[in-house]
Amino acid sequence: MATPAELEVVTRFGTFTVDEDDIVTFAHGLPGFERCRRFVLVSAPSLDPFTCLHGIDAPEPSFLTLDPRRVVPGYQTPLSDGDRHRLGVTGTEALLWLAVVHIDDASARANLQAPIVINPKRMVGLQVMTADTNYAADHLLDGA
Amino acid sequence: MLVFTRRRDEAIIIGDGIEVRVLRTGQDAVRIGVTAPHEVPVHRREVYDAVRAANQSAAAAPAPLLEHLAGRLRLHPPLEPVE
Repeated sequence: MATPAELEVVTRFGTFTVDEDDIVTFAHGLPGFERCRRFVLVSAPSLDPFTCLHGIDAPEPSFLTLDPRRVVPGYQTPLSDGDRHRLGVTGTEALLWLAVVHIDDASARANLQAPIVINPKRMVGLQVMTADTNYAADHLLDGA
Repeated sequence: MLVFTRRRDEAIIIGDGIEVRVLRTGQDAVRIGVTAPHEVPVHRREVYDAVRAANQSAAAAPAPLLEHLAGRLRLHPPLEPVE
């Protein structure tokens, strides 16, 4: 069996090596980065508790992301039929939910309003956008 | 921009699978129905723009010193992925 090719990704959070098999396709990119269709999710001890969602198409956007259930236990954002279809969800497969984190000098905040969701079975993802949510787009993560 | 006048229950079609129909009109608001293939995401402009602005500023933020930050975060223990 062939070993998957390795890929070196250079992010502002460090340089990491991932497998080509780890590439997740976002058919429409992410809002603001519509032309970046391929991303990898990097987990590394140096990033903990975050993961890095790194785009490997120009302009190679990089985000720190976090499991939203670590912020709000029981976190749940419903998926529309269209989103389920675009993710190729067929039954009860486990999905990976990520909140985009924004850190500046003053605070660390997570976007719980527009989570990114990945179907690991199909390696496709999208960002959920709904007007109908009680979660904040800038949920404070630290005591500051 | 293409500009059309449509009355209630009239529609336009875009390409070969998208229909935009006027369902109800009011003084300041119009109720619109969009029929599109599942592959085509449809969003409210202002919701999309807000997510775009949030993504762009998150992607532009300088890399933080995570070891300094980690102790300040109020997080719950990690869980296994679920549907």
